[in-house]
Amino acid sequence: MDWGRIRFFLGEVGTNFTRNATMQITAIGTVAITVVLLGTFLFVRDTVAAFGQGILSKIEIAVYLKDDVDDKRAQAIGAQLARDERILGATYVPKREGLNQMRERLGSDFDTSLLTANPLPNAFRVRVRNPDDVPAVAASIEPIAGVAKVDFAADTVTKLLHAADVLARVGLGMIALLVLTAAIIIANTIRLTVFARRREIAIMQLVGATNMYIRMPFIAEGLVAGVVGAAVAIGLLAIARVELVPKIAAMLSFVPLQANEPQIALELLAVGAGVGLIASWVSVGRYLRV
Amino acid sequence: MSLVYPNGTRALDSIDLEIGKAEFVFLVGHSGTGKSSLLKLLYREVVPNSGEVYVDDVRVDTLRRSRVARLRRNIGVVFQDFRLLSDKTVWENVAFALQVTGARSADVKRQVPRVLDLVGLSHKSRMLPSELSGGEQQRTAIARALVNNPKIMLCDEPTGNLDPSNTTEIIELLQRINLKGTTVLVATHNQAVVDRMRRRVVRLENGRILHDDERGYYFRGLGQNPVLSG
Repeated sequence: MDWGRIRFFLGEVGTNFTRNATMQITAIGTVAITVVLLGTFLFVRDTVAAFGQGILSKIEIAVYLKDDVDDKRAQAIGAQLARDERILGATYVPKREGLNQMRERLGSDFDTSLLTANPLPNAFRVRVRNPDDVPAVAASIEPIAGVAKVDFAADTVTKLLHAADVLARVGLGMIALLVLTAAIIIANTIRLTVFARRREIAIMQLVGATNMYIRMPFIAEGLVAGVVGAAVAIGLLAIARVELVPKIAAMLSFVPLQANEPQIALELLAVGAGVGLIASWVSVGRYLRV
Repeated sequence: MSLVYPNGTRALDSIDLEIGKAEFVFLVGHSGTGKSSLLKLLYREVVPNSGEVYVDDVRVDTLRRSRVARLRRNIGVVFQDFRLLSDKTVWENVAFALQVTGARSADVKRQVPRVLDLVGLSHKSRMLPSELSGGEQQRTAIARALVNNPKIMLCDEPTGNLDPSNTTEIIELLQRINLKGTTVLVATHNQAVVDRMRRRVVRLENGRILHDDERGYYFRGLGQNPVLSG
Protein backbone atom coordinates (compact mmCIF):
# COMPACT_ATOMS: atom_id res chain seq x y z
CA MET A 1 0.00 0.00 0.00
CA ASP A 2 1.30 3.40 -0.99
CA TRP A 3 -0.24 5.82 1.48
CA GLY A 4 1.07 8.85 -0.35
CA ARG A 5 -0.87 7.81 -3.45
CA ILE A 6 -4.04 7.07 -1.50
CA ARG A 7 -3.76 10.36 0.34
CA PHE A 8 -3.36 12.23 -2.94
CA PHE A 9 -6.41 10.51 -4.43
CA LEU A 10 -8.55 11.21 -1.36
CA GLY A 11 -7.31 14.79 -1.43
CA GLU A 12 -8.49 15.09 -5.02
CA VAL A 13 -11.93 13.74 -4.10
CA GLY A 14 -12.03 16.13 -1.15
CA THR A 15 -11.12 19.06 -3.40
CA ASN A 16 -13.92 18.09 -5.77
CA PHE A 17 -16.31 18.05 -2.87
CA THR A 18 -15.39 21.44 -1.49
CA ARG A 19 -15.26 23.15 -4.90
CA ASN A 20 -19.04 23.54 -4.99
CA ALA A 21 -20.20 22.66 -1.55
CA THR A 22 -23.70 24.10 -1.92
CA MET A 23 -24.39 22.02 -5.02
CA GLN A 24 -22.97 19.02 -3.23
CA ILE A 25 -25.32 19.57 -0.30
CA THR A 26 -28.23 19.84 -2.74
CA ALA A 27 -27.23 16.54 -4.31
CA ILE A 28 -26.87 14.83 -0.94
CA GLY A 29 -30.19 16.32 0.21
CA THR A 30 -32.00 15.07 -2.88
CA VAL A 31 -30.59 11.60 -2.45
CA ALA A 32 -31.56 11.71 1.23
CA ILE A 33 -35.15 12.74 0.46
CA THR A 34 -35.44 10.09 -2.22
CA VAL A 35 -34.06 7.41 0.03
CA VAL A 36 -36.28 8.44 2.96
CA LEU A 37 -39.33 8.09 0.72
CA LEU A 38 -38.04 4.85 -0.71
CA GLY A 39 -37.41 3.54 2.80
CA THR A 40 -40.87 4.58 3.95
CA PHE A 41 -42.34 2.92 0.89
CA LEU A 42 -40.46 -0.32 1.55
CA PHE A 43 -41.58 -0.28 5.19
CA VAL A 44 -45.22 0.38 4.27
CA ARG A 45 -45.06 -2.22 1.54
CA ASP A 46 -43.72 -4.82 3.95
CA THR A 47 -46.38 -3.89 6.49
CA VAL A 48 -49.20 -3.97 3.96
CA ALA A 49 -47.92 -7.26 2.62
CA ALA A 50 -47.83 -8.70 6.14
CA PHE A 51 -51.27 -7.29 6.91
CA GLY A 52 -52.71 -8.57 3.65
CA GLN A 53 -51.07 -11.91 4.22
CA GLY A 54 -52.67 -11.98 7.66
CA ILE A 55 -56.12 -11.45 6.20
CA LEU A 56 -55.61 -13.71 3.25
CA SER A 57 -54.24 -16.52 5.38
CA LYS A 58 -57.53 -16.53 7.27
CA ILE A 59 -59.60 -16.91 4.14
CA GLU A 60 -61.11 -20.33 3.98
CA ILE A 61 -62.70 -22.25 1.20
CA ALA A 62 -66.03 -23.75 2.18
CA VAL A 63 -66.67 -27.05 0.46
CA TYR A 64 -70.32 -28.13 0.77
CA LEU A 65 -71.08 -31.78 0.21
CA LYS A 66 -74.18 -33.23 -1.40
CA ASP A 67 -76.79 -34.61 1.01
CA ASP A 68 -76.37 -38.16 -0.25
CA VAL A 69 -72.68 -38.28 0.65
CA ASP A 70 -72.14 -40.66 3.51
CA ASP A 71 -69.44 -40.43 6.19
CA LYS A 72 -67.19 -42.86 4.40
CA ARG A 73 -67.29 -40.89 1.19
CA ALA A 74 -66.76 -37.66 3.19
CA GLN A 75 -63.62 -39.18 4.72
CA ALA A 76 -62.36 -40.10 1.26
CA ILE A 77 -62.87 -36.52 0.11
CA GLY A 78 -61.04 -35.26 3.21
CA ALA A 79 -58.13 -37.58 2.42
CA GLN A 80 -58.05 -36.35 -1.15
CA LEU A 81 -57.94 -32.72 0.02
CA ALA A 82 -55.14 -33.52 2.44
CA ARG A 83 -53.05 -34.84 -0.45
CA ASP A 84 -53.09 -31.46 -2.22
CA GLU A 85 -49.82 -29.74 -1.34
CA ARG A 86 -51.32 -26.26 -1.66
CA ILE A 87 -53.78 -27.02 1.12
CA LEU A 88 -52.70 -26.30 4.66
CA GLY A 89 -55.56 -28.16 6.29
CA ALA A 90 -59.13 -29.29 5.81
CA THR A 91 -61.51 -29.48 8.74
CA TYR A 92 -64.67 -31.56 8.47
CA VAL A 93 -67.75 -29.73 9.74
CA PRO A 94 -70.78 -32.08 9.97
CA LYS A 95 -74.15 -30.43 9.48
CA ARG A 96 -74.97 -30.60 13.21
CA GLU A 97 -71.84 -28.69 14.16
CA GLY A 98 -72.37 -26.25 11.32
CA LEU A 99 -75.73 -25.34 12.76
CA ASN A 100 -74.22 -24.86 16.22
CA GLN A 101 -71.57 -22.56 14.77
CA MET A 102 -74.22 -20.59 12.98
CA ARG A 103 -76.21 -20.21 16.17
CA GLU A 104 -73.16 -18.91 17.95
CA ARG A 105 -72.35 -16.51 15.21
CA LEU A 106 -75.79 -15.07 14.74
CA GLY A 107 -76.94 -15.29 18.33
CA SER A 108 -80.50 -14.20 19.01
CA ASP A 109 -80.97 -12.70 15.55
CA PHE A 110 -81.79 -16.13 14.27
CA ASP A 111 -84.27 -18.39 15.98
CA THR A 112 -83.25 -21.95 15.08
CA SER A 113 -86.22 -23.37 16.88
CA LEU A 114 -88.29 -22.38 13.89
CA LEU A 115 -86.37 -24.86 11.79
CA THR A 116 -88.09 -28.21 11.27
CA ALA A 117 -84.91 -29.75 9.91
CA ASN A 118 -81.20 -28.81 9.66
CA PRO A 119 -80.87 -27.03 6.30
CA LEU A 120 -77.07 -27.06 6.34
CA PRO A 121 -75.06 -29.60 4.37
CA ASN A 122 -71.97 -31.40 5.63
CA ALA A 123 -68.93 -29.33 4.77
CA PHE A 124 -65.14 -28.98 4.79
CA ARG A 125 -63.36 -25.80 5.76
CA VAL A 126 -60.19 -25.67 3.70
CA ARG A 127 -57.27 -23.38 4.52
CA VAL A 128 -54.75 -22.74 1.77
CA ARG A 129 -51.00 -22.37 2.28
CA ASN A 130 -50.56 -19.49 -0.22
CA PRO A 131 -53.46 -17.03 -0.51
CA ASP A 132 -52.68 -16.54 -4.21
CA ASP A 133 -53.72 -20.15 -4.78
CA VAL A 134 -57.22 -19.77 -3.32
CA PRO A 135 -59.10 -19.41 -6.63
CA ALA A 136 -57.17 -22.27 -8.26
CA VAL A 137 -57.63 -24.62 -5.32
CA ALA A 138 -61.33 -23.85 -5.22
CA ALA A 139 -61.60 -24.63 -8.92
CA SER A 140 -59.80 -27.93 -8.46
CA ILE A 141 -62.10 -29.01 -5.63
CA GLU A 142 -65.31 -28.27 -7.50
CA PRO A 143 -65.26 -31.32 -9.82
CA ILE A 144 -64.69 -33.84 -7.00
CA ALA A 145 -67.61 -36.31 -6.84
CA GLY A 146 -69.91 -35.54 -3.95
CA VAL A 147 -69.06 -31.88 -3.78
CA ALA A 148 -72.16 -29.72 -4.14
CA LYS A 149 -70.68 -26.27 -4.01
CA VAL A 150 -67.41 -24.50 -3.36
CA ASP A 151 -67.47 -21.07 -1.83
CA PHE A 152 -64.80 -18.56 -0.91
CA ALA A 153 -64.51 -14.82 -0.50
CA ALA A 154 -63.52 -14.49 -4.12
CA ASP A 155 -64.00 -10.80 -4.32
CA THR A 156 -62.04 -10.01 -1.19
CA VAL A 157 -59.12 -12.14 -2.25
CA THR A 158 -58.82 -10.81 -5.76
CA LYS A 159 -59.40 -7.22 -4.69
CA LEU A 160 -56.77 -7.39 -2.00
CA LEU A 161 -54.26 -8.97 -4.35
CA HIS A 162 -55.07 -6.37 -6.95
CA ALA A 163 -54.84 -3.45 -4.51
CA ALA A 164 -51.46 -4.59 -3.23
CA ASP A 165 -50.26 -4.89 -6.81
CA VAL A 166 -51.47 -1.41 -7.79
CA LEU A 167 -49.96 0.11 -4.66
CA ALA A 168 -46.61 -1.46 -5.44
CA ARG A 169 -46.69 -0.24 -9.04
CA VAL A 170 -47.61 3.34 -8.19
CA GLY A 171 -45.03 3.45 -5.42
CA LEU A 172 -42.31 2.06 -7.63
CA GLY A 173 -43.19 4.53 -10.39
CA MET A 174 -42.91 7.46 -8.00
CA ILE A 175 -39.64 6.21 -6.62
CA ALA A 176 -38.26 5.68 -10.11
CA LEU A 177 -39.00 9.35 -10.82
CA LEU A 178 -37.33 10.43 -7.59
CA VAL A 179 -34.28 8.30 -8.28
CA LEU A 180 -34.07 9.86 -11.72
CA THR A 181 -34.26 13.35 -10.18
CA ALA A 182 -31.50 12.54 -7.72
CA ALA A 183 -29.40 11.13 -10.55
CA ILE A 184 -29.85 14.26 -12.66
CA ILE A 185 -28.88 16.50 -9.75
CA ILE A 186 -25.77 14.45 -9.03
CA ALA A 187 -24.87 14.48 -12.73
CA ASN A 188 -25.24 18.25 -12.77
CA THR A 189 -23.11 18.63 -9.67
CA ILE A 190 -20.37 16.58 -11.32
CA ARG A 191 -20.65 18.77 -14.40
CA LEU A 192 -20.12 21.87 -12.27
CA THR A 193 -17.13 20.27 -10.59
CA VAL A 194 -15.67 19.39 -13.97
CA PHE A 195 -16.14 23.02 -14.96
CA ALA A 196 -14.65 24.33 -11.71
CA ARG A 197 -11.62 22.10 -12.16
CA ARG A 198 -11.08 22.52 -15.88
CA ARG A 199 -7.60 23.98 -15.34
CA GLU A 200 -6.49 20.98 -13.34
CA ILE A 201 -8.05 18.65 -15.87
CA ALA A 202 -6.24 20.41 -18.73
CA ILE A 203 -2.95 20.04 -16.91
CA MET A 204 -3.63 16.41 -16.09
CA GLN A 205 -4.27 15.76 -19.77
CA LEU A 206 -1.15 17.66 -20.71
CA VAL A 207 1.20 15.76 -18.44
CA GLY A 208 -0.20 12.40 -19.51
CA ALA A 209 -2.66 11.33 -16.84
CA THR A 210 -4.77 8.46 -18.13
CA ASN A 211 -8.47 9.01 -18.78
CA MET A 212 -9.34 6.61 -16.00
CA TYR A 213 -7.13 8.50 -13.58
CA ILE A 214 -8.74 11.81 -14.49
CA ARG A 215 -12.23 10.38 -14.15
CA MET A 216 -11.83 8.47 -10.90
CA PRO A 217 -12.06 11.42 -8.47
CA PHE A 218 -15.25 12.62 -10.16
CA ILE A 219 -16.83 9.20 -10.06
CA ALA A 220 -15.77 8.82 -6.45
CA GLU A 221 -17.38 12.22 -5.79
CA GLY A 222 -20.74 11.00 -7.11
CA LEU A 223 -20.42 7.74 -5.20
CA VAL A 224 -19.71 9.62 -1.96
CA ALA A 225 -22.69 11.95 -2.55
CA GLY A 226 -24.97 8.93 -3.06
CA VAL A 227 -23.67 7.02 -0.05
CA VAL A 228 -23.72 10.05 2.27
CA GLY A 229 -27.25 10.92 1.13
CA ALA A 230 -28.40 7.36 1.77
CA ALA A 231 -26.67 7.30 5.16
CA VAL A 232 -28.41 10.54 6.18
CA ALA A 233 -31.74 9.06 5.07
CA ILE A 234 -31.14 5.81 6.94
CA GLY A 235 -30.34 7.84 10.05
CA LEU A 236 -33.61 9.78 9.71
CA LEU A 237 -35.56 6.58 9.10
CA ALA A 238 -33.98 4.95 12.13
CA ILE A 239 -35.06 7.89 14.30
CA ALA A 240 -38.57 7.69 12.85
CA ARG A 241 -38.62 3.95 13.48
CA VAL A 242 -37.77 4.44 17.14
CA GLU A 243 -39.87 7.55 17.79
CA LEU A 244 -42.86 7.31 15.49
CA VAL A 245 -43.64 3.69 14.74
CA PRO A 246 -44.60 2.67 18.32
CA LYS A 247 -47.13 5.53 18.38
CA ILE A 248 -48.60 4.49 15.04
CA ALA A 249 -48.66 0.90 16.22
CA ALA A 250 -50.62 1.96 19.28
CA MET A 251 -53.19 3.71 17.10
CA LEU A 252 -53.45 0.93 14.54
CA SER A 253 -53.30 -2.00 16.87
CA PHE A 254 -54.88 -4.33 14.35
CA VAL A 255 -52.13 -3.70 11.79
CA PRO A 256 -48.97 -5.67 12.43
CA LEU A 257 -46.12 -3.19 11.84
CA GLN A 258 -43.29 -5.35 10.73
CA ALA A 259 -40.48 -5.11 8.24
CA ASN A 260 -37.00 -6.48 7.76
CA GLU A 261 -35.21 -3.28 8.76
CA PRO A 262 -31.55 -4.32 8.38
CA GLN A 263 -32.27 -5.58 4.88
CA ILE A 264 -34.13 -2.38 3.98
CA ALA A 265 -31.18 -0.30 5.28
CA LEU A 266 -28.75 -2.27 3.10
CA GLU A 267 -31.02 -1.93 0.07
CA LEU A 268 -31.26 1.82 0.61
CA LEU A 269 -27.49 2.16 0.90
CA ALA A 270 -27.08 0.18 -2.30
CA VAL A 271 -29.62 2.41 -4.07
CA GLY A 272 -27.79 5.56 -2.93
CA ALA A 273 -24.40 4.23 -4.00
CA GLY A 274 -25.80 2.97 -7.30
CA VAL A 275 -27.47 6.27 -8.18
CA GLY A 276 -24.32 8.24 -7.32
CA LEU A 277 -22.06 5.90 -9.25
CA ILE A 278 -24.18 5.68 -12.40
CA ALA A 279 -25.01 9.40 -12.49
CA SER A 280 -21.39 10.49 -12.10
CA TRP A 281 -20.18 7.87 -14.58
CA VAL A 282 -22.59 9.14 -17.21
CA SER A 283 -21.86 12.78 -16.39
CA VAL A 284 -18.10 12.36 -16.55
CA GLY A 285 -18.49 10.55 -19.83
CA ARG A 286 -20.49 13.44 -21.26
CA TYR A 287 -18.74 16.47 -19.82
CA LEU A 288 -15.16 15.31 -19.39
CA ARG A 289 -14.00 15.01 -22.95
CA VAL A 290 -10.62 13.43 -22.58
CA MET B 1 1.49 17.42 -43.55
CA SER B 2 -1.44 19.87 -43.44
CA LEU B 3 -3.86 21.06 -40.81
CA VAL B 4 -7.18 22.79 -41.40
CA TYR B 5 -9.28 23.79 -38.39
CA PRO B 6 -13.05 23.11 -38.47
CA ASN B 7 -13.76 26.82 -39.06
CA GLY B 8 -11.85 26.57 -42.33
CA THR B 9 -8.63 28.23 -41.18
CA ARG B 10 -5.68 26.67 -42.95
CA ALA B 11 -3.25 26.55 -40.01
CA LEU B 12 -0.50 24.50 -41.60
CA ASP B 13 0.04 23.79 -45.27
CA SER B 14 2.32 21.09 -46.70
CA ILE B 15 4.73 21.15 -43.78
CA ASP B 16 7.69 18.78 -44.07
CA LEU B 17 9.94 19.05 -41.05
CA GLU B 18 12.28 16.70 -39.27
CA ILE B 19 13.87 17.46 -35.90
CA GLY B 20 16.68 15.27 -34.59
CA LYS B 21 17.28 13.90 -31.15
CA ALA B 22 18.68 16.45 -28.67
CA GLU B 23 18.32 19.33 -31.12
CA PHE B 24 17.45 22.87 -30.03
CA VAL B 25 15.09 24.51 -32.52
CA PHE B 26 13.48 27.95 -32.61
CA LEU B 27 10.14 28.20 -34.35
CA VAL B 28 9.59 31.81 -35.44
CA GLY B 29 7.02 33.74 -37.40
CA HIS B 30 4.16 36.20 -36.99
CA SER B 31 1.23 35.47 -34.74
CA GLY B 32 -1.19 33.11 -36.42
CA THR B 33 1.34 31.53 -38.77
CA GLY B 34 0.89 28.12 -37.22
CA LYS B 35 3.67 27.89 -34.61
CA SER B 36 1.31 26.82 -31.83
CA SER B 37 -0.55 24.49 -34.19
CA LEU B 38 2.71 22.76 -35.06
CA LEU B 39 3.44 22.19 -31.36
CA LYS B 40 -0.12 20.96 -30.76
CA LEU B 41 0.29 18.37 -33.50
CA LEU B 42 3.29 16.96 -31.67
CA TYR B 43 1.54 16.45 -28.36
CA ARG B 44 -1.62 15.30 -30.09
CA GLU B 45 -3.82 18.20 -29.09
CA VAL B 46 -4.88 18.30 -32.76
CA VAL B 47 -4.52 15.85 -35.62
CA PRO B 48 -3.56 16.78 -39.18
CA ASN B 49 -6.07 16.58 -42.02
CA SER B 50 -3.45 15.02 -44.20
CA GLY B 51 0.03 13.73 -43.70
CA GLU B 52 1.76 11.97 -40.84
CA VAL B 53 3.29 13.06 -37.53
CA TYR B 54 5.95 11.00 -35.78
CA VAL B 55 7.38 11.56 -32.32
CA ASP B 56 10.23 9.30 -31.28
CA ASP B 57 9.34 6.88 -34.13
CA VAL B 58 5.75 6.60 -32.91
CA ARG B 59 3.08 7.72 -35.33
CA VAL B 60 1.11 10.29 -33.35
CA ASP B 61 -1.72 11.32 -35.67
CA THR B 62 -3.33 7.87 -35.69
CA LEU B 63 -2.57 7.13 -32.06
CA ARG B 64 -5.42 5.56 -30.12
CA ARG B 65 -6.88 7.78 -27.40
CA SER B 66 -5.73 5.44 -24.70
CA ARG B 67 -2.14 5.80 -25.93
CA VAL B 68 -2.11 9.59 -25.92
CA ALA B 69 -1.42 9.72 -22.17
CA ARG B 70 1.72 7.63 -22.66
CA LEU B 71 2.89 9.91 -25.48
CA ARG B 72 2.44 13.00 -23.34
CA ARG B 73 4.55 11.61 -20.52
CA ASN B 74 7.43 11.78 -22.99
CA ILE B 75 6.69 15.39 -23.88
CA GLY B 76 7.00 18.37 -21.56
CA VAL B 77 4.93 21.40 -22.59
CA VAL B 78 5.44 24.98 -21.39
CA PHE B 79 3.15 27.92 -22.20
CA GLN B 80 3.38 31.68 -22.17
CA ASP B 81 0.81 31.91 -19.35
CA PHE B 82 2.55 29.27 -17.16
CA ARG B 83 -0.72 27.43 -16.40
CA LEU B 84 0.08 26.76 -12.76
CA LEU B 85 -2.56 25.80 -10.22
CA SER B 86 -2.99 28.86 -8.04
CA ASP B 87 -4.09 26.97 -4.92
CA LYS B 88 -1.09 24.64 -4.95
CA THR B 89 2.44 25.42 -3.85
CA VAL B 90 5.46 25.18 -6.14
CA TRP B 91 6.19 21.72 -4.79
CA GLU B 92 2.55 20.61 -5.21
CA ASN B 93 2.35 21.97 -8.75
CA VAL B 94 5.39 19.96 -9.77
CA ALA B 95 4.39 16.87 -7.78
CA PHE B 96 0.91 17.03 -9.36
CA ALA B 97 2.32 16.07 -12.76
CA LEU B 98 3.79 12.92 -11.25
CA GLN B 99 0.88 12.09 -8.96
CA VAL B 100 -1.74 12.18 -11.70
CA THR B 101 0.27 9.70 -13.72
CA GLY B 102 0.01 7.33 -10.77
CA ALA B 103 3.62 7.69 -9.64
CA ARG B 104 4.62 6.10 -6.34
CA SER B 105 5.10 8.57 -3.51
CA ALA B 106 8.74 7.51 -3.17
CA ASP B 107 9.29 8.61 -6.79
CA VAL B 108 7.53 11.89 -6.12
CA LYS B 109 9.80 12.54 -3.13
CA ARG B 110 12.87 11.81 -5.25
CA GLN B 111 11.95 13.53 -8.53
CA VAL B 112 10.41 16.79 -7.30
CA PRO B 113 13.50 18.02 -5.39
CA ARG B 114 15.67 17.03 -8.35
CA VAL B 115 13.80 19.23 -10.85
CA LEU B 116 13.28 22.06 -8.37
CA ASP B 117 17.03 22.05 -7.83
CA LEU B 118 17.58 22.04 -11.59
CA VAL B 119 15.40 25.15 -12.09
CA GLY B 120 16.80 26.76 -8.93
CA LEU B 121 13.59 26.93 -6.91
CA SER B 122 14.35 24.56 -4.04
CA HIS B 123 14.16 27.40 -1.56
CA LYS B 124 10.71 28.50 -2.76
CA SER B 125 9.02 25.11 -2.90
CA ARG B 126 6.44 26.05 -0.25
CA MET B 127 5.37 29.26 -1.96
CA LEU B 128 2.21 29.76 -3.97
CA PRO B 129 2.49 30.90 -7.62
CA SER B 130 1.06 34.30 -6.68
CA GLU B 131 4.06 34.88 -4.42
CA LEU B 132 6.54 34.30 -7.26
CA SER B 133 7.92 36.53 -10.02
CA GLY B 134 6.97 35.75 -13.62
CA GLY B 135 10.34 34.13 -14.21
CA GLU B 136 9.96 31.95 -11.14
CA GLN B 137 6.48 30.94 -12.20
CA GLN B 138 7.79 29.90 -15.59
CA ARG B 139 10.63 27.97 -13.95
CA THR B 140 8.00 26.16 -11.88
CA ALA B 141 6.13 25.32 -15.07
CA ILE B 142 9.37 24.06 -16.63
CA ALA B 143 10.05 21.94 -13.54
CA ARG B 144 6.58 20.47 -13.91
CA ALA B 145 7.21 19.73 -17.57
CA LEU B 146 10.54 18.10 -16.69
CA VAL B 147 9.49 15.98 -13.77
CA ASN B 148 8.34 13.06 -15.94
CA ASN B 149 11.78 13.01 -17.65
CA PRO B 150 10.45 13.84 -21.09
CA LYS B 151 12.52 13.29 -24.21
CA ILE B 152 11.07 16.42 -25.78
CA MET B 153 10.28 19.90 -24.42
CA LEU B 154 7.77 22.01 -26.34
CA CYS B 155 7.72 25.68 -25.36
CA ASP B 156 5.02 27.97 -26.73
CA GLU B 157 6.20 31.58 -26.22
CA PRO B 158 7.85 30.68 -22.91
CA THR B 159 9.23 34.19 -22.45
CA GLY B 160 6.28 36.10 -23.85
CA ASN B 161 5.24 37.45 -20.43
CA LEU B 162 8.74 37.99 -19.04
CA ASP B 163 11.15 40.91 -18.80
CA PRO B 164 14.61 40.64 -20.48
CA SER B 165 16.50 39.36 -17.42
CA ASN B 166 13.89 36.70 -16.68
CA THR B 167 13.87 35.84 -20.38
CA THR B 168 17.60 35.22 -20.34
CA GLU B 169 17.22 33.08 -17.23
CA ILE B 170 14.55 30.90 -18.85
CA ILE B 171 16.41 30.48 -22.13
CA GLU B 172 19.60 29.53 -20.31
CA LEU B 173 17.60 26.99 -18.33
CA LEU B 174 16.18 25.53 -21.53
CA GLN B 175 19.70 25.37 -22.93
CA ARG B 176 20.91 23.44 -19.87
CA ILE B 177 18.00 21.05 -20.26
CA ASN B 178 18.92 20.60 -23.92
CA LEU B 179 22.53 19.82 -22.98
CA LYS B 180 21.26 16.93 -20.84
CA GLY B 181 19.95 15.37 -24.07
CA THR B 182 16.37 16.63 -24.23
CA THR B 183 15.09 17.84 -27.57
CA VAL B 184 13.86 21.43 -27.13
CA LEU B 185 11.48 23.17 -29.50
CA VAL B 186 10.75 26.84 -28.73
CA ALA B 187 8.12 28.91 -30.52
CA THR B 188 9.00 32.56 -29.97
CA HIS B 189 8.70 36.14 -31.08
CA ASN B 190 11.82 37.16 -29.23
CA GLN B 191 14.33 38.26 -31.82
CA ALA B 192 17.09 39.06 -29.29
CA VAL B 193 17.01 35.55 -27.86
CA VAL B 194 17.04 33.85 -31.23
CA ASP B 195 19.85 35.98 -32.60
CA ARG B 196 22.03 35.54 -29.51
CA MET B 197 21.62 31.78 -29.33
CA ARG B 198 22.43 31.00 -32.99
CA ARG B 199 20.54 27.73 -33.12
CA ARG B 200 18.45 26.11 -35.80
CA VAL B 201 15.67 28.50 -36.79
CA VAL B 202 12.52 27.42 -38.63
CA ARG B 203 10.47 30.34 -39.91
CA LEU B 204 6.78 29.78 -40.62
CA GLU B 205 4.66 32.06 -42.73
CA ASN B 206 0.99 31.50 -43.56
CA GLY B 207 1.26 27.93 -42.41
CA ARG B 208 4.26 27.09 -44.60
CA ILE B 209 7.94 26.77 -43.83
CA LEU B 210 9.59 29.89 -45.25
CA HIS B 211 13.10 28.87 -44.36
CA ASP B 212 14.96 26.46 -42.10
CA ASP B 213 18.52 27.44 -41.13
CA GLU B 214 21.18 25.77 -39.02
CA ARG B 215 22.64 28.45 -36.71
CA GLY B 216 20.08 30.92 -38.05
CA TYR B 217 18.84 34.38 -37.19
CA TYR B 218 15.35 35.65 -36.44
CA PHE B 219 15.35 37.44 -39.79
CA ARG B 220 17.33 35.59 -42.42
CA GLY B 221 20.48 37.49 -43.37
CA LEU B 222 19.71 40.40 -41.11
CA GLY B 223 20.95 38.82 -37.92
CA GLN B 224 24.20 40.74 -37.73
CA ASN B 225 22.43 44.06 -38.11
CA PRO B 226 22.94 45.59 -34.67
CA VAL B 227 19.79 47.68 -34.90
CA LEU B 228 17.47 44.80 -35.71
CA SER B 229 19.14 42.24 -33.49
CA GLY B 230 18.48 44.44 -30.49
